[in-house]
Amino acid sequence: MKNTTLAFLFVSPALLFLLAVLGWPLVQAVILSFQDVGVIGSEGHFIGLDNYAAVLGGGGFWYAFGRSIVWVLGNAIVQTALALATALILNQKFPGVKIARTWVILTWIVPTVVVVIIWRWLLSTSGGMINPLLVQAGIVERPVGFFSGRDSAMASLVLINSWRWFPFTALMMLAGLTRIPGDLYEAARIDGAGTWQRFKRITWPLLQPTLMVLGVVGTLLSFNVFDVIWLLTAGGPSGGTQTLPVLIYETAFKGYRLSEAATISVLTSILLMGFAFLTTRAMTATEASR
Amino acid sequence: MKRSWRQASALYGGLAALALIIGLPFWWVVTGSIKLPREIIQREPTMIPHSFTLQHFEKLLQASDFPVYLLNSVIVAVFSTAFTVLLALPAAYAFFRMEFPGRNTLYRTILLAYAFPGVVVLIPLYGLFAKVGLIDSPVALVIVNVALALPFSIWMMRSFLATVPREIEEAAVVDGAPTTTILLRILMPLIAPGIASVAIFAFISSWTEYLFASVLIVSDARRTIPVGFAGIIGQYQIDWGLLLAGATAAIVPVVALFAFIGRWFVSGLTEGAVK
Repeated sequence: MKNTTLAFLFVSPALLFLLAVLGWPLVQAVILSFQDVGVIGSEGHFIGLDNYAAVLGGGGFWYAFGRSIVWVLGNAIVQTALALATALILNQKFPGVKIARTWVILTWIVPTVVVVIIWRWLLSTSGGMINPLLVQAGIVERPVGFFSGRDSAMASLVLINSWRWFPFTALMMLAGLTRIPGDLYEAARIDGAGTWQRFKRITWPLLQPTLMVLGVVGTLLSFNVFDVIWLLTAGGPSGGTQTLPVLIYETAFKGYRLSEAATISVLTSILLMGFAFLTTRAMTATEASR
Repeated sequence: MKRSWRQASALYGGLAALALIIGLPFWWVVTGSIKLPREIIQREPTMIPHSFTLQHFEKLLQASDFPVYLLNSVIVAVFSTAFTVLLALPAAYAFFRMEFPGRNTLYRTILLAYAFPGVVVLIPLYGLFAKVGLIDSPVALVIVNVALALPFSIWMMRSFLATVPREIEEAAVVDGAPTTTILLRILMPLIAPGIASVAIFAFISSWTEYLFASVLIVSDARRTIPVGFAGIIGQYQIDWGLLLAGATAAIVPVVALFAFIGRWFVSGLTEGAVK
C-alpha cells in the first residue's frame, strides 16, 4: 500500500507528541545548562560553559559516574545469570508452562514502591523475614544491616532491582530461544551430544544476537533506574548508592541548583548516546562479518 | 522425547527455585497483612499466619488517604492507557505496514526515546508545565505517562501486525474499501491481542510511575499510589501492618488485570522481541 500522505497522518500525532514532551524539554535542558538558574521558576543568565567546568572539575559527577558503572555492571551480571537460567527453564515443555510464562513477570508488574516495601520489610533488622532466618540457621550472630554500609547497600539494591527485572529479561531471552530451530537439537542428540554440549554448541552461540541487544537495552534501562534507589536509600549511606539519576534529582530538587542538574543531565545523555551509538555500530559490524 | 532422571530433576528443581524466589516474598507480604502486629514483629517468623485480623486494612482506609490515591491512580492509568493506544496504533500501522520516506530513521529516533533517563527531561518539563498551569494536575501525569509508554508500545505492535497476512488488506483494497475501514473493521479484531498488550503495558507503566508523579503533583489529594504510599512510609513510625496492607492493596488491581490479559502481554513480549 503506497499512500505517503496517509502514512504521515498516522505517524505524526505520536511523533509530534513525543517531540513536544520529550524532544523539546531536551533542548530546554541544554539551554538551561548554559545558564545559572537555581530554584525552579527563577530567571537565569547566560554564563557559558561555567557549569560544565564546575561539574567536570568537581568530584561529585565522577563519583556518581563510578557508582553508576558499578550499578550497571552488577545488574548486568546478576540479571543475565538469573534470566538465562529462567529462560532455559521456561523454554522446556512441562505441564503448566503457559501459566509459568505469564506469572513469572509478577515482580515487574507491581509498583516499585511495593517492591521497596516488600524488601524493606524482609531485610529489616527489627522483625523482618531474612534476618531471623539467617540468625536461626546460624549464618550470622546478629541481624545484618543490609543498607548500613556503602557496598552492602549497593549490593542489596542490585539484588532487589534484579529481582524486579530478571523475569522481564528472561522473557526477552525466551523469545530468542524459541527462534532456535528444534531440528538442530535433534540432530545434535542423534550425534550423541550431551546436554552441556548442546548448550555450548547450539544455544549459546545462537543466542548471542539476542544477548547483545539485551545487553544494550538492559544497560540503558538499568542505568536509568531511579525510584528503587531513591525510595530505599536516597543515594546513601554517604553517597554509596548515588548513581547519576539520583545525583541529578538531588541537585535539582533538594539542592535547588537547576542549571547544574541540567548540565549533569546533558553530560549523562551524551554518555548514553555515545554508548548506544558505539554498541549498535559494533553489533552491525559483527553481523556484517558473519 | 523422554527426559533422563537428571534432566527432570534439574527442570523441576529450577522451577521450584524460581517459584520460591518470586512467590515467597509476595506470600510473606500478603499473609503478613492479615497477621496481628505482635506476630508480624515476633523474632521467629511464621510461614503460615497464626492469627487473623483486618485491622491493618481498616486503618489503611481510615487513617490514610489510600482510597483517594487508589482512585487517582486508576483515573491516570485509564486515561494514559487510552491515549497510548490511540497514538500507538496508527503510528505502528504506518511504520510496519506502509511505505514512506524517512520511515526507518523516524522509527529509530522513537526507539531512542525509550532509552533516555526520565530525570533528564523532568527538570525542563516541570518548567513547561508550570507555564501552562498544569502543575498539580492529573493531566500532566497522563501526558508524561503516554510519552514514556509510547515508544515501547509502538515497537510491541510490530509482532502482532506481522501475524496478519497482507492478502487480507489487499483484498479489501481491491474491493475499494477506504484505509480507515481496513484499519477499524478488518485489522482491529485481528490484532486485538496486540492492543491488549499495549494497553496492559501502558497501564502498568502508569500504575508504577513514581518519579514524575512525585515532582509534578503537589497536593496530597491528587497523589497516585506510588507517591502517596511512599509518603505513608515516612509519615508513620514504621507501622509494618499498615504498609503490608497497603502493599497488598496495591498489588491486587494489577494482578486482577493481568489475570485476564496477561498471557497476551507475555506473548507480545516474547514473540515480537529482539529484532
